[in-house]
Amino acid sequence: SSHEHKLNFKKSKEVCLSYIQDAMLQKQWQRAAEFLTCYVESLEKDYSREHIGPSEMIWRIGSEILWHHSHSSMKEFNCFIEQMKTLGVKRYLKVCLEHVFHLLCNGQIDEAYQNLSLAESWRFGEQTAIQDKEMKLIQAYRGLLDYYSWSKQKNILLEHGKCVDGFADLSVEQEMHSCFRKAAVNLKEIIKIPGVWDLFVKCYVDLLEFYGDHNEAHQVLNEYAYNSKFPANPNAHVYLYQFLKRQGESKKSLISALKILHDIVPSHELMIDFSTMLQKSKKRKKRRLGLEVIFAALDYAGWKENVKAWSCLARQVKQIVISEKHLDWIKQEWDSRKDWWPAFHFSRYLAKRNWQENKSLSYEKALVAGILLGKDCKYFRYVSHQGCKAQVKRFRMLKKFMNRHNPVHLRISG
Amino acid sequence: MEFPAALFPSYFSTGPPREEGGPAPAAGWGEHGQVLDGGPGRHQAQPAFVPRRSGMGERWEPADAAAVPVLPPSAGCWIPSPAPQDILCRSGLCRKLRAGKSGATLDFTRQLGHFFVDHPEDAFGSLGRLLHKNFYLGNSKLKRPARNSTIRMTALVEDIDRLEARRGCPRQHLASRLRWFSHLCRDWLFEVPLGLLADCLHEELMLQWSNLLFDDSLTGGALAWLPPGDGGTHLGCLVHPGGPAMNLLYFQDMVLEELPRARGSPAQFELSGRVRQVAAARVDGEDFVGVRSDYHCGVWRVPGRTGAAPTPLQVIRTDVPASCLTVSPHLPGELSICTQSGTVYLWSVETGLQQLRHDPQTMFFRDHSPWRWSDFTAHPRVLSCADRTGLQCLDARAPKRCHFDLFKVGEEASCQQGERVVLPMYLGRAHPSQYLVTTQFSVYLLDERLPLVPVLKWAHMMKAPPLFAHLMPGDPGRSQKVLLGASRTQELLLLQYRGKRWSSRGGSQSACQLAGTPQKLHSIAGCLQHLPTQLPHRHHLLQQRLRAPAAGLAAALQEDRLHESMLVFQLSEAGDVFCQRLTHEAAQPPAPASRDEVPSPAAALRYRRWLRALSRGCKELPRHTWPPSLSQRRLFTRRELEGPAGPSALQRQMRQRLRQAMREGGRIQRWEPWALQPPPLPKTLEPAGGPDPLSARLTAAWSGDWEQWWEERTSFSVAQRQRALRERRRRQKRARGRRSLSASFTSSLTYQSELSELSDAGLPLLSPGRPRILSQERSPPAGSPPARSPPTSPAPDEALLSSQSLRCRGIPKERRKTLRDYLSVWAEGPPEPPEPPGSQASQLCIPSSQSQLSSASQPRRKRPRMGF
Repeated sequence: SSHEHKLNFKKSKEVCLSYIQDAMLQKQWQRAAEFLTCYVESLEKDYSREHIGPSEMIWRIGSEILWHHSHSSMKEFNCFIEQMKTLGVKRYLKVCLEHVFHLLCNGQIDEAYQNLSLAESWRFGEQTAIQDKEMKLIQAYRGLLDYYSWSKQKNILLEHGKCVDGFADLSVEQEMHSCFRKAAVNLKEIIKIPGVWDLFVKCYVDLLEFYGDHNEAHQVLNEYAYNSKFPANPNAHVYLYQFLKRQGESKKSLISALKILHDIVPSHELMIDFSTMLQKSKKRKKRRLGLEVIFAALDYAGWKENVKAWSCLARQVKQIVISEKHLDWIKQEWDSRKDWWPAFHFSRYLAKRNWQENKSLSYEKALVAGILLGKDCKYFRYVSHQGCKAQVKRFRMLKKFMNRHNPVHLRISG
Repeated sequence: MEFPAALFPSYFSTGPPREEGGPAPAAGWGEHGQVLDGGPGRHQAQPAFVPRRSGMGERWEPADAAAVPVLPPSAGCWIPSPAPQDILCRSGLCRKLRAGKSGATLDFTRQLGHFFVDHPEDAFGSLGRLLHKNFYLGNSKLKRPARNSTIRMTALVEDIDRLEARRGCPRQHLASRLRWFSHLCRDWLFEVPLGLLADCLHEELMLQWSNLLFDDSLTGGALAWLPPGDGGTHLGCLVHPGGPAMNLLYFQDMVLEELPRARGSPAQFELSGRVRQVAAARVDGEDFVGVRSDYHCGVWRVPGRTGAAPTPLQVIRTDVPASCLTVSPHLPGELSICTQSGTVYLWSVETGLQQLRHDPQTMFFRDHSPWRWSDFTAHPRVLSCADRTGLQCLDARAPKRCHFDLFKVGEEASCQQGERVVLPMYLGRAHPSQYLVTTQFSVYLLDERLPLVPVLKWAHMMKAPPLFAHLMPGDPGRSQKVLLGASRTQELLLLQYRGKRWSSRGGSQSACQLAGTPQKLHSIAGCLQHLPTQLPHRHHLLQQRLRAPAAGLAAALQEDRLHESMLVFQLSEAGDVFCQRLTHEAAQPPAPASRDEVPSPAAALRYRRWLRALSRGCKELPRHTWPPSLSQRRLFTRRELEGPAGPSALQRQMRQRLRQAMREGGRIQRWEPWALQPPPLPKTLEPAGGPDPLSARLTAAWSGDWEQWWEERTSFSVAQRQRALRERRRRQKRARGRRSLSASFTSSLTYQSELSELSDAGLPLLSPGRPRILSQERSPPAGSPPARSPPTSPAPDEALLSSQSLRCRGIPKERRKTLRDYLSVWAEGPPEPPEPPGSQASQLCIPSSQSQLSSASQPRRKRPRMGF
């Protein structure tokens, strides 16, 4: 009966799909391609109501096969995609976008630009929310490509600026400005919407800075970093900090930008700069914060073997010990860590390994361990012993320093 | 650690997922996701874009055709966990019902029946004893004084049996007797009130069913690989459960070679529960192994030196089943535990348990699952805790105050509707702040510095949710490799991702990219086709064993000389550990795919050894495969087994007439008995007081000299047949001269009447002088050997089971099937040879000879049939 036939057809479709899937997961692209030619028949009677229909599956599977198949060419891929674009209205923009990505990754920037312009002019009834998002992305990527041609022309202009050739420069300059306008309009649109737009924001700010619109740039970066509708992206804060630094803003505003970054990502690599910056400050409160920042960074496993971080901490701790002022700062920081830092940082195993792998790291760590745990702690004993045996001068100095300041650790741990 | 200078663009919105969900077969293919400018500082040249999903990954090729067993099969037989057909309705009615509604129908009544039969003491113990004297199960009528206090239950039992026989029949009417009985005693007969018992049973059934659909107790997997120590030897340790109940924990030293090989006997620990999860982490050169069973969690320490014995450190007991145990990669002897009550503990061997959170509710929206998970993060004092709705990170120093959301099932990660967290895993060995989260649809890679927004997402397209994951960190410049494993389908998937750009200037952190296409690895079940051919029933058992759900996953990277290889271990619920090797092919042209046809000689040897050990281990058949034994006393009352007293006078008359008419080849025109002119009775018809064939045969069989009986019978029948043949020829000649009824009609008529005669009167076994009519029908064709095939016997056997004969014996219709089944059980003993088509004689041949009995290799036919 026809019903049975329909069922059988459905079943054979599923079987065919599972064969394709199997072949692809085993990188048998030729086999998958052969099955896919059979699967194309599933478009005939497409009664499916699943959220990924056969046309989308053919697009996805076909693209994947063409990416990997040893005999496929870019021309074939483009041809396939053009057919896929006509296959489904709902997915048109998505297919376009993916096609553009493929062109971009293969260095065909101009073709990608053409495709983006074409897709941008596409209209079909009322747009769904997803299509709206896809359209905005298409525009944004076009803006990005406009930005790249702007920057190319800018470079030509900067190079030509050295020699005198007024007429040629004028047309290049005009073209550059038109690229700027096209890029700015589209980039500005997308970065208003909550999202992760690192690339677009960077380009847009670059444009604005070039034309001297620092207020707008500052506002854009502020918005990107501090608008609560956006995700807590550390890069947003980094971009703002770098912008402020470029603008030569005051230490205070730099510190406040980094303070917020510290609050959301205490393990960020800028924290060393931040701690160093704070340490140089005259205000006690800031120096206190500097110690806090470097202690917090070293809590994270990622910093465990970072010499820069350890030397930053060692320097600060040593300074405090020598000046014998604010030992309570160390004590406060140490109180919440003394039950796990010894095992985490200062075990005998680590002493051995650090000594073998990185002598300066073990030096810095031994200094911190000696101050925090006393000269009898495993880490310090092992490293200073090895250092003295190897007759390295700074380890002997370290031992002397520790002997002189040994009571400090009692005050810290007490 | 550096944070990537720019991330791939993505939208960010909040709220519940909007995209409609469902498994999408091809969702993971054909997408680049997004692109990012990958060439910093090169303003002159064109920008170089990199995709989020790139085509470039490392090539890992399977070295062999299938997975190979690495350890001998665990001793003792494995009992498969219940299969869907064990608890689902099987009858046609239920199937029809199910077709209408969605979802499965659990066979509640059958299970309740099983409970009553298997645990009568628990079900009816005390009242059963009390009422013992008042229930009478015999057939005879009750005498006066007894009748006051005793009731006869036989009829009730018959009713129940009848009900059983009609199970699944759409016109099933409840007998009124049963109804009143159940109405009377439902409230007091049961030890446990019936409603309560039914509730409990139903709950258990639902639990079993949901476990069949998705068993999350295995999350994390019960297999761990402890890599070789710093010495760089080729000696690692495999930690796995074993034994029939999976309650033995083994630490097996393994030598990594072409195929890994066990060295020495394993350290073994007997635990008081089934091992659900084995987790391991290496801190300061020592391995800490956490083991989770339902109500106990334990931790072992394995020193880094090779050959050092593992030492158990501590065990804790939980009131509620634990659902997670992870070992800290930062601090020695620290673990985290979650229980199904929603409690998260930080467990330190030195300082004991610290409760971090107790919340029976799920975090972001309501979900019924009590499953909880917890793992460590880049900060040794911050733990992640997860339920099906997402992940949060808590600071152990102030768990109430300091926490943040790491992952939410929602628009933040562009999840689908119905998507749920299946397994979170800290990827600290690859990158200190990265996290893997798998759901039934996708895998997500998260960076705890940018919570809620996945840095990578990919639809994995696996048929079952990935319950196991294993990370193999790559060296700088190489891709990170993640293995995903599913339990029920044994799927194994190898993914690669890259988080570092490697150029001549050195590595710098870049946004994560999925590298290359995911790759499917061999499953345990895939090796079945490469195993030596087995007897069909062995093959079936083997298939069942190899298809047991996977229970764990581990992997090791191994470098020797120029080759780099990856060893992937997979554990099954039956306790088998299989392994496969993949070799890294650096920039080689695609190898011909012909290699995966036959296993290598080494693998073939492994298969043979493993099979031999398996068959040795399972010599004594497990109980449930023994042939069922029945007590015949329960099946029939004595009266039923007694033959009827004999045909009535009228019946006898009728039969006589019929026989005579047939003998004469004539017709009976009127049946009226009064019009009958009784012919003289042939004196040979009635048996001379001997027992009926069934009784004779059963008696012979039970007393053990059945063979002799059979011999007598066959030798008798050969002589008899020859006589009968002669007789028939003679009669046919005579009949041809008188009437013109076709011979075929005559013979079929004869057959029918003979059947009834046989069943009524039985065969006069020891009177060879009598002419036999039946033999005419059953005479062998001319060419067949007369001596070895006794062709007459099946007819009486079939006759015994024919409805007519059973009815004549007073056996009710419903019981006839039981009788047939009962007899067919005995018939299962000697197998029947396959039927050669077309040969009537050999089809009816009964395996009486010893040679046929011993040929057990032939496939048995399941058709219930009386074979002796």
